[in-house]
Amino acid sequence: MSEATASKEGLPAAERTRPTKSMSDRWFSILLITPAMIIIVFFALFPLGYAVDLSFRYADLTRRGIQEFVGLNNYRYVLFDKPFWRSLQITVTFAFFAVVIEMLLGIFIAFLINGVRVAKGLIRSLLILPLATAPAVTGLFWRYLYDTQFGLYNYFLGLVDWAQPNWLGDISIALWAVIIFDVWQWTPFVALIVLAGLQSLPREPFEAAELDGASYFRVLRRLTFPMLMPVIFLVGVLRAIDALRLYDSVAVLTRGGPGTATETMTYYLYRNGLQFFRMDYASAMALLFLYALVVASGFALRPLLARFAQRAGAR
Amino acid sequence: MLQQRNATPLEVLRYGIILVILLCTVFPIAWMIITSFKPPDDIMVMPPRFSFQPTLDNYLYAIQKANFALFIWNTILVSTTSTIFVVILASLAAYSFARYNVGEGHILFFILTTKMFPAIAVVLPYFIIFRDIGNTAVGQALGIGLDKPMALIISYTIFNLPFAIWLMVSFFQDISRELEDSARLDGYNRLQVLARVVLPLAAPGISVAAIFCLIFSWNEFLFAYILTRDAARTITVGVESFFTLRGILWGPVAAAATISVVPMLIFVLVLQRYMVRGLTFGAVRG
Repeated sequence: MSEATASKEGLPAAERTRPTKSMSDRWFSILLITPAMIIIVFFALFPLGYAVDLSFRYADLTRRGIQEFVGLNNYRYVLFDKPFWRSLQITVTFAFFAVVIEMLLGIFIAFLINGVRVAKGLIRSLLILPLATAPAVTGLFWRYLYDTQFGLYNYFLGLVDWAQPNWLGDISIALWAVIIFDVWQWTPFVALIVLAGLQSLPREPFEAAELDGASYFRVLRRLTFPMLMPVIFLVGVLRAIDALRLYDSVAVLTRGGPGTATETMTYYLYRNGLQFFRMDYASAMALLFLYALVVASGFALRPLLARFAQRAGAR
Repeated sequence: MLQQRNATPLEVLRYGIILVILLCTVFPIAWMIITSFKPPDDIMVMPPRFSFQPTLDNYLYAIQKANFALFIWNTILVSTTSTIFVVILASLAAYSFARYNVGEGHILFFILTTKMFPAIAVVLPYFIIFRDIGNTAVGQALGIGLDKPMALIISYTIFNLPFAIWLMVSFFQDISRELEDSARLDGYNRLQVLARVVLPLAAPGISVAAIFCLIFSWNEFLFAYILTRDAARTITVGVESFFTLRGILWGPVAAAATISVVPMLIFVLVLQRYMVRGLTFGAVRG
């Protein structure tokens, strides 16, 4: 729907003459959200409760199934589990480098495209294509591209006489192969949203700055970036949350290997829960992970989205 | 603002860099589609062949050998059904949030929180729950259980609800209240206002949310991987079936991947104006 159809004037007046909220308005609004809320509460919180329950028990599905309560044992085990901390370290390393590269590259690309005068639509269309593909599917094909024998990447590197790494087999490089794949897929996301932010900046301050003869970099530092900051921050938080939850591309590209070089927390969790069937231990880990993410996203995302939503509502 | 003038060296550089970036972006997808039309002998060679006799063998192999027709059908069934559920539930709820501000934002944020769950953390309980339900008479009667499409439909509906509600709220907020108020004065009741005034006006926004949900369900991997085995497998997971003991059959992999990816590429081009809005839960309007 186009922005023009939403009337921009007269809203406050309508607000005032609107009949005061009656009881029946309230019930109607509650009635409307009820079906969705039942689904969300039941199907989101029920599994959660189940996981909490499991995390306090002994549950080895390969042996005797779900057994007696063991208190905090599983949690205690997590804290002293070296592979767990190692996977946490790998996850954070991955998320840090992937998000930083994506942000820098994405912001750069957004500025590049913003100055373009022809074929902007076409450029944007081509840019968003990676976002439409399932990482599990394209990631699988990237294994062919990374292949040491038949892979195109090493072929191209060979053409310019560069080293031809064993992308997925070398312990020190495999994580970077996953990062590069993630950068390929998600940099357009950053670029696209920052570009939208750039295009919605008000004109007046920039015209005034031009009249004052301010230099390009001064305008950038004093005007563009400060005004763009909320959008950049929002994109960064969304990307960080997704990067910490990364699973699909690890599962198809490296399966955590070679060794455990790319075993992120989600993959370690998967191995414990669904390969070793230690549901108790996996649940405890999942809950710690979940708690950290929810707290982090609650703190970082909530004020941000509230701010955007408010601004949208105030229009 | 800008006058037509000859390209400056700086602009040539700008377009040059953009061209390189676009090549990097599109190339892996393009190479995948190209590979899917290659005869096997042209795939496992070095240096790679850029010219070859195109063939449909890989597609035929994928569909005949690997039961891929079933995977495609499952994917379509699961993603469309869950999208329909999501659209019905989310549009009602989103309207309520946008128009009546029910819960003053707190419920809305609680809903978003469930979206932040790492999928891997919830998939374990889902696995056990669906396994247990599947063993009961009720589960068997309703077709709920492991390796049943219904398990994925339910999972994807829950997954996409928070996102769809958030996105739709932003679209409902754009609809003028005056219109609703005057419809009320004309004697429509609340339900009629919703059905005859609001929903038609919100239709474009609702379809945007629907297409996003369709893409997410279509591309979902983890739940499809863990909750299904053969009968309810979807394409995203099915692509792996060409990993054989003798090696990976890259031709059929590429064909299967192309079947999986191309419909979504088309959808995304349709959505392009709304991509930004969708990807930020409706926060940035693009």
